[in-house]
Amino acid sequence: MKASRRMEGDVAVIALSGKLMGGPDAEGVRQVIRESLDEGTRKILVDVGEVSWVNSTGLGILISSLAAVTDAGGKMKLCRVSHRVHQIFMVTKLHQVFDAHETVEEALKGFAG
Amino acid sequence: MADAWEPFEIRLRIPSRMEWLGLVDRVAAGIAEQLDFEEETADAVANSVVEAGTNAIQHGHRYTSALPVDLVFEVQADRLTVRVHDRGPGFDVAKVLQADPTAPDSLLSSRGRGIFIMKSLMDRVEFEITPGKGCTAVLTKYRRESG
Repeated sequence: MKASRRMEGDVAVIALSGKLMGGPDAEGVRQVIRESLDEGTRKILVDVGEVSWVNSTGLGILISSLAAVTDAGGKMKLCRVSHRVHQIFMVTKLHQVFDAHETVEEALKGFAG
Repeated sequence: MADAWEPFEIRLRIPSRMEWLGLVDRVAAGIAEQLDFEEETADAVANSVVEAGTNAIQHGHRYTSALPVDLVFEVQADRLTVRVHDRGPGFDVAKVLQADPTAPDSLLSSRGRGIFIMKSLMDRVEFEITPGKGCTAVLTKYRRESG
């Protein structure tokens, strides 16, 4: 799992690629989010477009990340959720928890609203 | 061909390391594709088998990499059955099946969804626990007749 970060205005766009499945992945993703929050960023967009699949442990990483951002007074969105990952979100009802958008652009507009 | 669907098995053994779930995923997805499952069904099979592998590594073997996880994909005319075996002590199946991770007070928990995901996506999920020998998750997806 790779996590890269770039800024789009005041939004940290964190792009994940590979398999989101826990283990060492957990710390890498949490670290990128923690660094963003430590720097004062309060708008976090996690682009999961290149995530091939996520297991229940990977879901836990996303949930704990959302909690960390929310606890810091910020907002976290997802974008580019694949059909396969969306299937997991639907059966676990996490589609009700995550604010997900089709594209990066749409998500960025959502932060502005 | 009259014997086109003679039952057969495909076997895989992986160490208890999460990175090898990628191979499990490819094998499960490849078999589902070969059996002409629709994309959504193939995703369901792959997602479920990955969850079973995750549970074996995480709970059955507690990440002890030397302990193998054994998978057997049994192909029959009317179904695909995947058996995922670990050597761990098993668990209280009834208690786990009672839990609802989609309940409002559990929805934001970071754990406890693996078996729920399997049961939601497969047609049948059973667990065979033998003290001293281990635990086998048995996942079944029925094959629909193709056109």
